[in-house]
Amino acid sequence: MALLEMRGLTKIYDQGKIEVPALRGIDLTVEQGEFTTIFGPSGSGKTTLLNLIGCLDRPTAGTIIFDGQELAGLEKKALAMIRRRHVGFVFQSYNLIPVLTAYENVEFAVRLVNEYEKKEIRDRVLRILEAVGLAGLEKRKPNELSGGQKQRVAIARALVKEPKLILADEPSANLDSKTSEEVLQVMLKMNQELGTTFIFSTHDPRVMEYARRLIEIRDGQVAKDQRRG
Amino acid sequence: MFLTKLALKNLARHRNRTLITASIIAFAVFFYLLLDSLIGGMTEMSYEMIINYEAGHLQVVTEEYWAEEEKLPLKNLMTPGPQLLAAIKDVPGYQGSSAELSFQAMLSNGVNELPVIGRGINPQDFAGVIDLADHFVEGEMFRADGRGAFGVTQAVIGKRLAELLKLQTGDYVTLLVKDKNETFNTIEAEITGLIHTGNPLANQGVVYLPLDVAREALAVGDQASKVLIRLENKNRAPKVANELAEQLRAINPQLAVYSWDQLEAVTVAGAKQMGNQLIMTIILLIAAIAIINTVILAALERMEEIGMMKAMGLQTKEVIYTFVLESTGIGILGGICGLLLGLAGVGLFTIVGVDFSAIIDMTPYGIPVVGKIYGVWNPASFVTVFAFGVIVSLFASILPAYWAADKDPVKAIYSR
Repeated sequence: MALLEMRGLTKIYDQGKIEVPALRGIDLTVEQGEFTTIFGPSGSGKTTLLNLIGCLDRPTAGTIIFDGQELAGLEKKALAMIRRRHVGFVFQSYNLIPVLTAYENVEFAVRLVNEYEKKEIRDRVLRILEAVGLAGLEKRKPNELSGGQKQRVAIARALVKEPKLILADEPSANLDSKTSEEVLQVMLKMNQELGTTFIFSTHDPRVMEYARRLIEIRDGQVAKDQRRG
Repeated sequence: MFLTKLALKNLARHRNRTLITASIIAFAVFFYLLLDSLIGGMTEMSYEMIINYEAGHLQVVTEEYWAEEEKLPLKNLMTPGPQLLAAIKDVPGYQGSSAELSFQAMLSNGVNELPVIGRGINPQDFAGVIDLADHFVEGEMFRADGRGAFGVTQAVIGKRLAELLKLQTGDYVTLLVKDKNETFNTIEAEITGLIHTGNPLANQGVVYLPLDVAREALAVGDQASKVLIRLENKNRAPKVANELAEQLRAINPQLAVYSWDQLEAVTVAGAKQMGNQLIMTIILLIAAIAIINTVILAALERMEEIGMMKAMGLQTKEVIYTFVLESTGIGILGGICGLLLGLAGVGLFTIVGVDFSAIIDMTPYGIPVVGKIYGVWNPASFVTVFAFGVIVSLFASILPAYWAADKDPVKAIYSR
C-alpha cells in the first residue's frame, strides 16, 4: 500500500484581493521507504507541498491519503496527532529548543508519543544520538553545538519516534559541503536501516545525488518525476 | 511532565526579564501588604478613638434622635429614669454608663468665636465610660456639681481649641446656644482643664460642661440626648445591644440601642477601606500588565519554536500550558519575594509606626487619629495577596499564550 496518495492537490493563497496559486492539481504517489527529493526554483511550490503532506496546512482542493487515511476532513487535533506519531520534520534552521540539551530535544519528541517506558525512552534517545554521530554530546545545549551537529540533533529528534515519514525542508541549506555530506549519509543510513520514508525539498544538487526519486515542481505542477535504480 | 520541565527551564531562559517581572509582582505584593497593614492599623485606631473619646461601646437613644444625630437636635430626647438606668447596669460586661446632652454652640473668648459641640455630662458617670483623667495637660475635670467659686459654671476644653482662642485654665468663656424653644441663651464658664487626646474632635471641637447647667440653659428639663455605655469587651457590643434593646422596649418603645460599629464615623472608615482595596487592586493589575507584556515578548521571540512544537504534534492547549506555567512560576517567585519583603515591612510598621500627623492632617479624610499609627498583622492578607498574585499571573498569561499558541504552524515556523 502506498504511504501517500495525492490527487488534484491544489493550494491557493488568498492575499487580500489577489489569489496566488501555489499548487495546481498535483497527482503523486509515494511508497513506504522511498528516499525522494522534490526540487524546483524558488516559489515553485515545494515547501507548500511539504506542508500539505506533513499535515501542517490544508489544501484548497484535492485529496491526500496518508497511510490509508484521508486528511481532508480531519480536525486540527487529529492532524496534530498524526504529526505527533507518524511525521518527523527537519528544517533548514534546525528549530531546536535552546533551553533543552541535545538529549532533551530528542527526548521531547519521543515523550510526546507517550508509548514507551522511561528506560526504553532513554535507550532509544541514546541509540539514535549515537547513530547520528552525537555520542558524548548529549548534555550540550544547541548554542554549544556546530550547525552540522544541530542538524543531526534535528534529524535524531525526527527519527527517534520511528515515524513513517520524515519531511526535510532544505536540510543542507545552512551547512558546508562536508557537513552536508555527513548529514545526508546519516539520513540515507536511517532510510536503509529503519525503512523510514524521506521526502526532501531542496535546491541543493548534492541532496539530489542521494535521492532515488527526483520530482521537479514548476509553477505548482509536477514537471518531471524520475526514479533511479 | 516534560512540558512542565520545559516551562521551568524557560523561566531561567531570560533571567533578567523573569527577575524584572517577578520584581514588579513582588513590589505590588509588598505595597499591598504595607497598605493593608497601615489601613488595618488606622481603622483599628480610629475605632478605639471613637469608642474611647466619643461614643463608648453602646448608645441608648430614641430612634428619631438617631436619625438626625449629626445635627445634635434638642427634639426627640430621652429621659434617663431610674428604671432605664437599672436595666442598663444589668447588661452583661457592664463597666459604666453616662447620660449626656449634646448640643451645638458658639464658643467665644470675648473677641473671637468658634463653633463647637457642647457635651453636658456628669463627670463621675462620664469617667466610667470615657476616661479623660490621663489626658489633662493643664488643670483638671470640673467638680461633681460643676460649680466653682461664687457658683461659676466650670468647663473643660481641648488644648487645641484653647490654642485657637488663646485660652488657658482660669479664663472665662461664653457659650452661645439656642434652647429647645429656639431662644438664644448664653452659658458663662470658667475653664478648669485642658485635655489632649488621640482624637482630634475631642481636642479642638468639644466643650465639656456640667449636665445640669446644659439642661437648664437648653430648657430640656431632665432629658438627655443619649446614655453612653462602656462594656468589658467591645466585640460583645452588638449582641448586648440587641439584648438591651429588647428589654428597653418595655420601658419606652421609642428607645433603641446602637453599638459602636453602627456609628456613622465607623461606617465611613469602612467605606474608606473599600476605596483603598480598589487602589490595591489597581497595583496588582499593574503586575498583570507586566505578565502580559512578558508573555507577548516571549511568544514573539519563540515564534519559530512554537511552530516547531506544533509541527511535532503539540496541541494549542499544550503550548498554552507551557506559557501559563512559566507565567505562574514568575507569579510564585514574585509572590514569595513580596511576602518576605512584606513580613519585614509590616513587622517594622507594627513596631515603629508612622506619624502621619507630621506630614498631613488626617482629620478631613475621616481618620480620627492623632499621633503615630501602627500597622497590624493580618495573616489572611498574606495568604490572599499571594494567591491573588499567582492567580493574576496565571490568568493574565492565558490570552497572550492563546494568541501565540493558536498561530498557524506554517506561519510560525517561517516567521523569520
